[in-house]
Amino acid sequence: MGDCDMDDTEQDQSPQATGGQAIYFDGLSNRRQTVTVVLSNQLVLRSADNFVSWPYPDIRRVDAPSGTLRVSCLSASPLARLEIRDSAFAAELVARCDRIDENRLTHGAVARIIGWSLAAAASIIVMVLFVVPFAADRLTPLVPPAMERHLGEAAVVQLQAVFGNKTCDGAGGQAAFAKLVEALRVPAGLDASVGAQVLDTPIPNAFALPGGRFFLLSGLLAKANDPDEIAGVLAHELGHLKHRDNLRQVIHNGGSSFLIGLLFGDITGAGAAIFASRTIVTASYSREAEHDADSFAIEVMHKLGRPTAPMGELMFRVTGKEGDKQLSILASHPLTEDRLERMRAEDQPPSGPPLLTAEEWRALKGICK
Amino acid sequence: MNQMNFIPQPPPPLPAVPVTFDGERGEFFRLIGRGALLELVTLGFYRFWLATDIRRHLWVNTAVDGDAAEYTGRGKELLIGFLFAMAILVPIYLAYFIVSVEAERFKGFASVPLVIGFYAFGQFAIYRARRYRLTRTVWRGVRFWMDGSGWAYAGRAMLWALLLVLTLGLAFPWREAALERYKMQHSHYGNLQGDFEASPWELFKQIWWLWLAIPVCLVLFPLLPFIYGYFKAVEWRWWLSGLRFGGVRLQSRLRPGALYGLYWKVIGWFVLLWAVTFAYFGGVVVVAAKFGGVSMAGPKAAQALANNIPLLIMLVLGYIAVILAINVVMRMYLLRDVWARVLASVELHGIEAVANISAKGDLASALGEGFADGLDVAGF
Repeated sequence: MGDCDMDDTEQDQSPQATGGQAIYFDGLSNRRQTVTVVLSNQLVLRSADNFVSWPYPDIRRVDAPSGTLRVSCLSASPLARLEIRDSAFAAELVARCDRIDENRLTHGAVARIIGWSLAAAASIIVMVLFVVPFAADRLTPLVPPAMERHLGEAAVVQLQAVFGNKTCDGAGGQAAFAKLVEALRVPAGLDASVGAQVLDTPIPNAFALPGGRFFLLSGLLAKANDPDEIAGVLAHELGHLKHRDNLRQVIHNGGSSFLIGLLFGDITGAGAAIFASRTIVTASYSREAEHDADSFAIEVMHKLGRPTAPMGELMFRVTGKEGDKQLSILASHPLTEDRLERMRAEDQPPSGPPLLTAEEWRALKGICK
Repeated sequence: MNQMNFIPQPPPPLPAVPVTFDGERGEFFRLIGRGALLELVTLGFYRFWLATDIRRHLWVNTAVDGDAAEYTGRGKELLIGFLFAMAILVPIYLAYFIVSVEAERFKGFASVPLVIGFYAFGQFAIYRARRYRLTRTVWRGVRFWMDGSGWAYAGRAMLWALLLVLTLGLAFPWREAALERYKMQHSHYGNLQGDFEASPWELFKQIWWLWLAIPVCLVLFPLLPFIYGYFKAVEWRWWLSGLRFGGVRLQSRLRPGALYGLYWKVIGWFVLLWAVTFAYFGGVVVVAAKFGGVSMAGPKAAQALANNIPLLIMLVLGYIAVILAINVVMRMYLLRDVWARVLASVELHGIEAVANISAKGDLASALGEGFADGLDVAGF
C-alpha cells in the first residue's frame, strides 16, 4: 500500500526542480531499486516500472551510515526507504524538508528524560523515607497474628539449623526463668501466648522472633550480675513483641530494599551504593525500634518498681564504648553509652519486691548446666 | 523462479558476501561516554535510551551486501516495557515472599525450589527480548520478525537445564543447539524462514577439554581469560556458522584466539582504573589528615576519617568516576569491539536467495526486555 503513489502532474519543468540518482526500497519487498529523484513541489521517484511521490513535510530522516542520507515518508509504507549518497543532493533535499529531524531525540527531550528521572528518584526517596515507614506502621496491625506466627515458625526452623537445638531446661532454672518472664509479661500487657527459651551459646545476646517468641542466649546470662539486669533486657525484648517490630521491619526493609534496588538497579558497579543506602535506611529504622523498645522496658521496670540502670550496665559490659568503633548512622542500635545514660537518668530506687530470690537467681544462672 | 531451494554441498553460484562494520570508535566512545554520564544523572533511567542508541549505532554501521541495517526500536518502548514488567513482577515478588514464608514453616530453606519459577521467567524474558530486538531490525526495507511462544521456549529451556545439571554440564552443546533451533525456526526475514543447523557434536569436539581445564585454571587463574576467550570465540563461530535464512548460509572464520586481546585489555583497564582510584583515595585521606586536622594516630583515626564530610564527598566522587569509567570500558571492548571483530569474520553464502523477499510480520512489544531488565537476566 504505497499511499504516496500519485498521478503524474507534470511539474518537472518548474524552475527550481533538481534531480539525482538514489536507491529506493519500497517497504513491501526487499528489492533494491535505482531511481531517479526529482525535487519538484514534492519529492518524485521514478524508475523503469515505478512512480512515487512523497510530500516534503512527511519526510523524516532515519538512521544511516555516515555519508548517506536515508529518509522515510510518513504517508508511505512505514519501512519504505530512500537512500541518497551524493552529499550535495542530500543537502538540497534536507533544505526542502523542514520537519525532517522531528523524530530526533533533541536536547529538550533529553532534558525531559532527566527531569522525569529526577522526579521519579525524588518520589522513590520520599517513599523510602516517609511512605514505607508509615505503611509498615499501619499495615502491621492488619496482619493477622496467625500469619505472624508462621513467619516466626519459619525463623525458628532456620534458627535451629544455625544454632542446633540446644535449648536449656535445667529444672530449677526453668522455673526461675518462667517466673521472671511471667512477672514481666503482666505489666507489659501481653497475653500468655508469649514463649521464651534460653539457648546454650556463648554469644551474649537476646532476641525476639515474630509471633511472640523470644530467646535469651546463655552468654548474656553468664555476664549478668543480678536479676534486674536480665529483667531489663527481657522487658526490652517484650517491647519488640508488643510493638510487633519484627513484622514491621520485614515490611519496612522489604519495601525500602525493593525501592532502592529500583533506584540504582541497572548501573554496573552501583552495588556499593545500593548496599550503603540500604544499610543506612534499615539501620535508622532499626535504631528507632530499639529506642522505643528501651522506652517500653523502662516503663515496665517502673511499673514493677525495679531500677533501670542495671540493664544499661549489662549492655555496656558486653559491648564497651561503641562511639569509637563504628559510624553511628550505620549502627542498628543506639550507641550503648547513650542507652546507658538514658537508663541511668530514668533510674529509680527499688520500690517493689525483688523479681527473683537469691536461690532462684543461682538456678537461672545454672540453667544450661 | 526456484532460487529459494537450498542445496548445501556444491559451492554457491555467487561468491560469498562479506558483512562489514564501519562504525567509528570515536563516535561510539562519545555516545557511551555521554550515555554513562546521563545514566548517572538520571540514576539509571537513561539506560533505555542508551541501550537504544548503542543498538542504533551498531546496526546502522553493519552492512550486508553493501546495504546497512537499521534499528527502529526507541527508548520509550523499552521504558514502557519495563513499567509493564514491573507491574507484573511486583505482585509476583510479593506472592513469592508469602509463599516462601509458608514453605519455610514446614522445613528450613524449603522455598529454594521457588527460585526455579524465577528461572522460567528469566528464560521467557530472554526469548521475548530477542523477539523485540529482531522485530526492530530492518534491512533493505524489510523487517525481521519472530513467532513462537515465550513460555514454550521457557519450558524447553528448563528441561534442558535439568539435563545440564544431571550431566554435570556435558549436555551444554546439545542444549544450546536445541534452544537456538527453536528460536531460529521461529525467526523470519520477510517471508523467508530461519533455521539453525550447527551440529552440537562440532561444538562438543572443540570444548570438551574445558571441563578438565577449568579446575586447573582455578588454581592457575591467569589462564582463565584465555579459557573464557577461547570458549566465547568458538561459541560465536559455531553459532554464526549454524544460522540460516531460507537459502542463505552464514559462515564465520573467527579464530579461537580472536578475543584474547579484548579480554586482556579489559582486565588491564580494570587494574589501571582501580590502581588510580585507590591512589586517589589514599591521596584524599592523606590530604584530609594534613590540612583537615584529622589525627591519623590512635584508635580514633578510622572514626575521625569516617565522620569527615568533605572527605566522604571526595571519596564518593571518586567512586562515581570509576563506575563511569568501568561502564565505558566494558561497553567499548565487550560490546563494540566484540561486535566488530565477530562481524568481520562472517560471510554470507547464497545471497541470491534474498533477491526478492516480501515484507511480512508484526512488531512485538518490549515486555520481554522489561522482564530481562527487572530480573537482571542477560542473554539473547
